[in-house]
Amino acid sequence: MSVFNRIVMTLLFAGLFVLGLYTIVYSFDLLGRSLNSLPISDFAAGLKDFVRRVEHGKLSILTIITLVLMAILGLIWFIAELRPTAPTRVRMGNGTYVTRGVVGEEISRVAEQVPDVLGSSVGVKARRSPGAQVELEARVRRGEDLGSIRSGLRSSVQRHLSERGLPVSKLNVKLVEADPRQTKTRVQ
Amino acid sequence: MADGIQLARAATEAALATEGVYSMGRGRYVEAATYEGSEKVSGVVVGPEDLEIHIVARYPLPKSIPEIAENIRERVAPEAGGRRTRVVVEDLEVAEDERL
Repeated sequence: MSVFNRIVMTLLFAGLFVLGLYTIVYSFDLLGRSLNSLPISDFAAGLKDFVRRVEHGKLSILTIITLVLMAILGLIWFIAELRPTAPTRVRMGNGTYVTRGVVGEEISRVAEQVPDVLGSSVGVKARRSPGAQVELEARVRRGEDLGSIRSGLRSSVQRHLSERGLPVSKLNVKLVEADPRQTKTRVQ
Repeated sequence: MADGIQLARAATEAALATEGVYSMGRGRYVEAATYEGSEKVSGVVVGPEDLEIHIVARYPLPKSIPEIAENIRERVAPEAGGRRTRVVVEDLEVAEDERL
């Protein structure tokens, strides 16, 4: 989102800068150019007409919907800009940070040590408060008791992480039944 | 009390001497380093009021990450001149025998 915003804002400011230069040149009749020479009489007339219709409240439904949508879009963009950026590192408290990769690596390692787990993928989100939000997806054989595997896996991961001092504020464990021929590990 | 590049050098030495530290980190999105003249010390960012130390931890970890971070802080404290010290664990380096 922030990269997209930066690109948009850069293009916008570049456009405004060029427009500003043209405005100065045409406003002050520099370089033999003047506002009267611009072919904007139709545009100006159209604009005047539009403003007159706004003042008299005689806009078409389509125009009203377009303006409302533009206002909503602007509001959403404004709120998105106000939101502080998500932290990139996981805060452990007391001035210690770990990258999301470290947390993911640790969790993946401990998850794949659980005998029923054939493979795993981990998503880690850093939060402003201490601790990470973790989405752990583990692949298991079909027909296994998913409830007991999930609770065993959850407790193993939590125990391991607390031993390492890695705080996890939210741990979501998702089990996916998979064909062992298509997983990282076939037999544990 | 050391300043600037001297503090960065001292912090690097202290961090590398701490059990559980494999190497200094380099920063993930922005290079973590301290510069002075033509000299650069990677892995330490010295600010006027804070000090950031980036490390790569050795795996398996000999102790918990907060303990490693605390050991680094204790070692750096005499040189830090009251700066708030942050430790960032950037990566884990798996020991050779663990890769088998």
